[in-house]
Formats: sequence, C-alpha cells, structure tokens
Amino acid sequence: MLDTVVSAETPEGIAVELRPAGFGARYFAYLLDQFIRIGIVYTFALATIIMGGFGFGLLLILAFALEWLYPVAFELSRWGATPGKRALGLKVVMDNGLPITPAASFIRNLLRAADFLPAAYGAAVVSMLLRRDFKRLGDIAANTLVVHRPTTPAPVAIEDVEPLAPVRPLQPQDQAAVVALAARASRLTRERLDELAALAAWVSGDMGRSGPEVTRRVLGVAQWLLGRR
Amino acid sequence: MTPLQFEARYQADWEELQRLLHRLQRHERVPEPVSAERLASLYRRACEQLALARARAYPTHIIERLNQLTSDAHQVIYQQRELGLGRLRRLIGRDFPCVVRAHSAYVWLATAVFAVPMVTLGLLVYLNPDLILSIVDPRTAAAFEAMYSDTAKSIGRLDNAERDWAMFGFYIRHNIGIGFQCFASGLFAGVGTLFFLAFNGAYIGGIAGYLTERGLSSTFYSFVVTHGAFELTAIVLTGAAGLRLGHALVAPGPRTRREALILAAREAIVIVYGAVGLFLIAAAIEAFWSSARWIPLPLKYGVAACCWIGVLGYLWRQGRHAR
Repeated sequence: MLDTVVSAETPEGIAVELRPAGFGARYFAYLLDQFIRIGIVYTFALATIIMGGFGFGLLLILAFALEWLYPVAFELSRWGATPGKRALGLKVVMDNGLPITPAASFIRNLLRAADFLPAAYGAAVVSMLLRRDFKRLGDIAANTLVVHRPTTPAPVAIEDVEPLAPVRPLQPQDQAAVVALAARASRLTRERLDELAALAAWVSGDMGRSGPEVTRRVLGVAQWLLGRR
Repeated sequence: MTPLQFEARYQADWEELQRLLHRLQRHERVPEPVSAERLASLYRRACEQLALARARAYPTHIIERLNQLTSDAHQVIYQQRELGLGRLRRLIGRDFPCVVRAHSAYVWLATAVFAVPMVTLGLLVYLNPDLILSIVDPRTAAAFEAMYSDTAKSIGRLDNAERDWAMFGFYIRHNIGIGFQCFASGLFAGVGTLFFLAFNGAYIGGIAGYLTERGLSSTFYSFVVTHGAFELTAIVLTGAAGLRLGHALVAPGPRTRREALILAAREAIVIVYGAVGLFLIAAAIEAFWSSARWIPLPLKYGVAACCWIGVLGYLWRQGRHAR
C-alpha cells in the first residue's frame, strides 16, 4: 500500500481510497495549462489586432478570464480537471472524494494569489512539499485534494496450474500474499518468481526448498485459495 | 466462500451498477431514465461486498474493482451541483448582503484600514505636494496630471489608450486582480490583507490629494465619484473577506485551525462573489460613463449620489426579511 493514500469514509461506512498527486505531476499539469493559455491569448491577439481598442479590451477581458476562470470552469465540468491535469491523469475532488463544489473551486483558485507569493508559487511549493497529501494553501482552505484518477485495474490472468490444498489453514493476510504473488507471476522473470515463491514455500509444505517445482506447488495453493478445487 | 465463488455470485450486480453509472456519466441530452432506487440498492450492496472482500483479504483485483465501483457510485449519488440562475438570484437577493452584514465587524475594520491611510495621505500630499514623489515616480505623477487636465479629450486616461472598450478590459483585469489579492493574502494571518488595503488606500488618497492641490478637483472627483461607489466598496469587501480568513487562522476558537479556515473560506467566498459583481459594474461605469465629458457635472454628481445610496442601502437592507 502506498504511504500517501488518503482514505475517505462514505456514509455507508466504507473507505474510498484516494491517491494525492505529488509536486511533479502537478507542476507538469500547470506548465501544460500555461502553454494552452498562452496559445489562446496569442491566437486571439492575432485575430483582434485589426479591431483596435475594442479588440484590445476584449483581449484584456479574455486574459482576465483565462487567469481566474479557466481553472474554475474546467474543474466544474464533468472531468473535474483542467486540460493540463486531465492530460496527466489528475483530478480535483473534495476531501471526501466527491466531485468539487463550485464554492470550493472558486476558493482554491482565488487563493492562487496567496499561493503565488512571495514569487513563482513559492508558498504553494513549500506547502506541497511539507504535506503528506500535497495540498497547496488554496486546497487546504477549500478542503480539496488533487488526486490521480483511478485507472481501471487490469483483469488478473492467473496461469492454470493444478490446485493444491495448503498444508495448514492460512491467515487472511497470508492468503492475500500468496494470491498476489500468483497474480504477479506473469510479470516476473522465472528466477525472481522462484526466489519469491521460495519465501512462501511453507504453504505447500516445501519449507526451505526452492526451484520451479516448488513455485508450481505454491501457485497451485493460490489456485486452491481462489476457489479452484 | 472462495474468491471465485464470490466473484461469480455478484458479477451480475457489479456489471449492472457499472452500466447504470456509465449511463449517468455520459451526460446525454436526453438521458435514459435510471431508477434511483435500483442504483441506491446496488450501491449499498457493492459497499457491503467491498467491506466483506476487505475483511476476508480477497485478491487485490476484486477489491480494486469494488473500490472503484463504489467510489464512482459515491460520486454520482452524493454530488451537489449549486450553479444556475436560481442560485444567482438567491445570491444577489439574500446571501451576499446578509453575509456582508454578518461580517460587519470585519467590514468596519477593513473600511478603517482602507480609509485612514487614504485620508491621511490625501491631506499630507495636499499640504505638501512634493510628498507625491514618495508614492509614485515623477513620470507617473505627470501622467496622472495630464489625464485629469481640462484639455484631455476624455477623463482618466492618456490619449494613446483612448478607447472605452480597451479601458473597460483594463479596469476589469486590474481592479478585480487587486480585489482577489486583498482576499487571498488574508491567508497570511490577515497581514497581507491589511497591507494591501492600507497600500491601495494610501495610493488613491495620495493621488487625490495631489490632483486637488493642482486645481483639478472638479474633473477628478466628477470622474471617480460614480464608479467609486462600487469599486471602493468592493475593495473594502474583499478586504473584509481576507480579514475573516486571517482571523480564523489567528484565533480559531474551539475548532482546529484547519477547520476554522475551511469554514471561514466557505463563508467569505460569498462576499467575494458579490464584490466581483460590484467590480464589474464599476468597470462598466468607469469606462463608459465616468470618462464621458459631454455629461454635465450636476447630472454626474446626481447619479453618483444615487449609486452611493443604492449600494450602501442594498448592503444595509436587502434580504433582511427574506426567509
């Protein structure tokens, strides 16, 4: 389990796991957003240059909107993230894992002005580096969290081997460890798999031995635990 | 029950829940109806199964899948959307003025911190015009003088930026930026807010004192007095919102500092919403009305008086009896 996981409890009494995004991911997301904004301003500037004062006024209003409303508008959209954050698989949610509310989005984005101080987002960087959940000041006040969007877990393919009953009843966490090993088997090299299986060899009564045969028997126990008997 | 039996038994439920969520999240123009009862019951069941799977230490892929399913459903079921015209009407008609009155102590303090340096600097510069150079550099002072001189084509701007629309954009960007700064810097125990309020007050006061001493008072005051009703009020209000944040951090009361800050921000942001509205009105008036030379002075002052009475009366009375 990652050490930065934040769990939020739902009214149903279960814990939803959130993975806060760290400084690196958020920095790149910010850079991307910044490029997008600069791109929009330049395009618009080229388009309005012929319109004189009126165009210049529109350009300033656009710059204002991009600076303050761009993040709010995107965070309140169905994606819950600006395009930069979306590209990096991030999302802004409330502390309890719910979609961000309009008030919270305004708070976190207006307090950007404080996060920016004394220069170049100094306060935000210090705050993010000091906290386990990587919140900047605006996130603290708004009760929000920038998290990695959960990815759909890949279906686990466990190799078919002869099921084998464990030599004695296993504790739940031991069962989980053996099954997790079997789930990872296809992504490990043969040698590493044998090494790891040797650690768990006692479940199949092969304590102290190792080798492909032992590995097969340990994976067999995993099959049995999963319910193939 | 083994993990495989568990999966086989509830697979159908999970898939149905997934389908319902997918349908709800697609945001179709004509959404297919989804039975709320069915969704809630499937969600509760999934929660139960997740708790079981965790307690029995089932394989990670089952737990992960249930975790994601429940958290998606949780998001859909408990989301609160509070945007729209109804919300805006409530904000203008009741919430904004009521929240401002509920924060009257902060509003008065912000007014004092803003107005005292303004009046002081105004008087000082009026009595000793050289002092203006301690606020702005000579070129800026000269530019201000030129903007409000009797020969300027329109008031409050230099000839090279004479278009009303350009100035409208400038006022929005610049003034609302100042407001946001006043609010946000309250996070630094309120010190930032106090600084920005006093600084902006001193700046405005200094310029006013200087221009008055130069004998440009009739152009200058007729220019600022109308939109000032909205703009100065809005600056003070954003300052009050910032002070609320700072106070929550310095003296959180029975709560933790974090909780106090979250609560303060949630209440203070309503003041900021209203202030943004005032800033927008101010920018429009400043660009298209205040700067116009063809409007006779008595009319300008008359409208200005109405604006001041309107703004202050709105903050004082609006929404008092609304329920």
